[in-house]
Amino acid sequence: MTDETGRSRRRFLGAVGAVGVAGLAGCSAQPVADEATSEPPATTDDQVTTEGTTTGEPTESMADTLVVATYPPFVNAPSTSPGAWLKREFESEYDATLVYQTPDSELNYYIERAVQGVDFEADVYVGLDTGQLIDVDSQRGEGQFTGSLFAEASDLAGGDAIKDGLRFDPEGRAVPFDTGYISLVWNATMDGGEFVAPETFEDLTAAEFEGDLIAQNPTTSTTGEAFMLHTIDAFGEDGYLDYWERLQDNGVTVLGNWSDSYSAYLNEEAPMVVSYSTDQVFASAEGQDLDKHQIRFLNDQGYANPEGMARFADSDAPRLAERFMEFMLRPEIQAGIAQRNVAFPAIADAPLPEDYAQYAKEPPESVTFTYDELEANLGTWTDQWARRFAGG
Amino acid sequence: MDRPVGAALRRRVNGVRTASPTAVAERFALPLLAAVTALLLALLFYYPIATVFVDAVVEDGRLTFGPLVEVATDEFYLGRVLGFTAYQALLSTLLSVLLGLPGAWVLARFEFRGRDTLRSVTMVPFVVPSVLVAAAFYATFGANGTLNAALSAIGLPRVDLLPSLGAILVAHAFYNAPLVTRVVAAAWESVDAGAVETARSLGASRRRAFRDVVLPQLLPAILTGATLTFVFTFATFAIPLALGGSQYATIEVFIYSARQQLEYGRAASLAVLETGVSLSLMALYLRYERAQAAERRGIRTLVRRPLWPDSWTRGRALRRLAIAGYAVVVALVFVAPLASMLYASVSVDGRFTLDAYRFLVERQATGAAFQVKPLPAIVNSLVFGAATLLLAVPLGVVMGVLTTRRFRGRWLVDALSMAPLVVSGIVVGLGLLRGLVFGFEAFGYRFTVTGAVAIVAAHAVAAYPFVVRTVAPPLDSLDRALVDSARALGASRARAVLDVELPLVWPGVVAGAAFAFAISIGEFDATVILAEGGGTYTMPVAVERFIGRRLGPATAMGTVLLAVTAASFVVIERVGGEFRG
Repeated sequence: MTDETGRSRRRFLGAVGAVGVAGLAGCSAQPVADEATSEPPATTDDQVTTEGTTTGEPTESMADTLVVATYPPFVNAPSTSPGAWLKREFESEYDATLVYQTPDSELNYYIERAVQGVDFEADVYVGLDTGQLIDVDSQRGEGQFTGSLFAEASDLAGGDAIKDGLRFDPEGRAVPFDTGYISLVWNATMDGGEFVAPETFEDLTAAEFEGDLIAQNPTTSTTGEAFMLHTIDAFGEDGYLDYWERLQDNGVTVLGNWSDSYSAYLNEEAPMVVSYSTDQVFASAEGQDLDKHQIRFLNDQGYANPEGMARFADSDAPRLAERFMEFMLRPEIQAGIAQRNVAFPAIADAPLPEDYAQYAKEPPESVTFTYDELEANLGTWTDQWARRFAGG
Repeated sequence: MDRPVGAALRRRVNGVRTASPTAVAERFALPLLAAVTALLLALLFYYPIATVFVDAVVEDGRLTFGPLVEVATDEFYLGRVLGFTAYQALLSTLLSVLLGLPGAWVLARFEFRGRDTLRSVTMVPFVVPSVLVAAAFYATFGANGTLNAALSAIGLPRVDLLPSLGAILVAHAFYNAPLVTRVVAAAWESVDAGAVETARSLGASRRRAFRDVVLPQLLPAILTGATLTFVFTFATFAIPLALGGSQYATIEVFIYSARQQLEYGRAASLAVLETGVSLSLMALYLRYERAQAAERRGIRTLVRRPLWPDSWTRGRALRRLAIAGYAVVVALVFVAPLASMLYASVSVDGRFTLDAYRFLVERQATGAAFQVKPLPAIVNSLVFGAATLLLAVPLGVVMGVLTTRRFRGRWLVDALSMAPLVVSGIVVGLGLLRGLVFGFEAFGYRFTVTGAVAIVAAHAVAAYPFVVRTVAPPLDSLDRALVDSARALGASRARAVLDVELPLVWPGVVAGAAFAFAISIGEFDATVILAEGGGTYTMPVAVERFIGRRLGPATAMGTVLLAVTAASFVVIERVGGEFRG
């Protein structure tokens, strides 16, 4: 049959056959009792080639592969990111391979697996904050998540150099490795070069700044959440919603995430955006006009968002994981992370280049909520915000 | 019956009668295919999403309906969130239909160079990642955008269009008006010319003939486009969040943030509400469509007029003027944002630079294994797209055939065949992750599939309803006499489908394939849930990963996505063209 319908039928049948084959190739069935073999998804080329070596029992000697889980921009930002450099430095010093896992849903990826009782092979998580740690703890007891997701950090060499204010985990699992400050970034070239950002939260609601601020939704964005927490610190949990109502009356634009709002800011939709106080590091590196990248700490404060790392409790390579965490705290590595992740080091004496401080601004006073304060209230605060704001 | 199909048909069914053992086997082919289809859908769709919806009704292992009741009795979710979501979806639908219909008219009724290509590129907006649309809209309609530059250049006052409800609506029209155009143009092209001529010869004016003959035949297609647009914009997420700001948050925004806060019960309950509304609407529409479906004979189509007529009359000139006006609107809504995106990929602060493309090349050449690279993203997208076609087209055709048969309980098959359209990508992705990638236990084994297979499953279930929707109407209006005579001459049901019906509805199959491919290439939500942490990222995922403090790399990747996609559609339609009989 060479006519048109013959061809179409062969295609049709061929299609059904091919799907069957593809389906079989991607499926696996394993006896339920043998839990250790439930196969984790292949992550990277590296991972596939090293799978054979990671399945071995942890022994007294150090494991030779460390799986580091982190958020995507840590290894994959289009500008700079510390991931590749850290891998090179670590591998050159230790006789081990560092493999990254970078799920888009970040720590939720592992929490979900823990709840569903599915094994994963990450040894350390790099880049968790207070809110994420609270999420971990609130899910404990759900489904098959009964044990502990993270192990308590032992006495790490160099751990005592960490600045006091940054330790955010009361149980000592998460170890801070850098911190950022949420602040306003403003554009001095707008309003015909006349624009100057207000100095206080109060002034931000003044008529002259109507429609001048872009912020982010606290329920979908980290920077948005931090800015909302800063207003709670400033006006109290009884006053922040009223303050937001005033902001809304004054024409604040609240977008879904940092990148949407930052691109709106770059398109000069408004002269101010909620962002990071390290903004000028990028702007100067790319030769952009620094007048368009001014930093303002409202009430002379910045909201501090320290980032921590923690070892997964059922890591196959606990000793190597600890070596890695110590490595992350060493002064020259701290300086390297700070520059590549564009954040501030977690220790006081990291050897940063002199012009770094010129572009990375530190607030006169830093504000942050503790684990306990957030654990009791964060869900309520964001829900109330969403209801009030979306209701408008 | 003088058409070649008829002759070929007679030859073939005569041949069939002699090969009766095959005929016996073929009698069971259709029921068997139906059973296989049902099984596949249960495995790839219904079971996975059930694992998510369970969270809405089960607490601590007990059936309590607690989370669902909590959300459904909350005035905020029921009134404000659901209410606003429906309101903006309604307005978006009106605007999309308004903007899409003239396009269908131009494509269906006029002949011009590049018409086929233009038809192909109507699928392109479908695959543009919403994050790029947001950036492109800001670059075009924003305070400092192209539109304002143009306005102030000709001395007109500047406008501030962003963010606003209007911006959300226009962005939704950007995505959905081409869909309306395509579905309606297909229906217009199958309008029976004979009926129009009869009406005209009986003295009906041109306008009257259009209203009484053509419009009734277009109405089901217009309603298809409108229903799909409503359902899509009802489940909208990124666009309102980026272009409207958070005071315009839709139900999908609340589902997303509930999932992010690990409030599974609330996320699932909201998803149940959302799905319930969309599914009811879809069921209503299907009832209407069934009432409309009447057997139509004669497939001689209207002759298209040249866009540039040989001689001008006042009416002709007015019509061409209207088309020119429409072209300006199209340029503003569709071309300007895409052009702004292209421009953003080759410029920084107004200076021309190829840095963004250099970034892509460097990332490809020197990027580490754990970084997202452009080439694997392109290859993955194409492979997933092809695999989606292999799964979605047969599924859709079988479902299309089933839904045009007369049998008890057909409405259920109808509604179920459309169900995947009303479940959001986040829910589908989550369901496949928990149901298939994490695996399920049966007969003492734990069955799991890889992320790649799950991604194809997600794409295929999202795509096959489009195949059903493009294949079912022509199947329905097929000349029954052809099928009946084939059956009378001894052809089995299955053979009648393969040898008679399928060739006649091939344009619908090709259109469905184009939809399926477009959906696979552009899908983001389910893909990102299933591909995360893996080597199975697609082009939209790469775009998202390349967003940083400058938009260049992301817009460059977006441009690559557009180019690859547009080329693919042209190929699909050209390949499909061979089969048109």
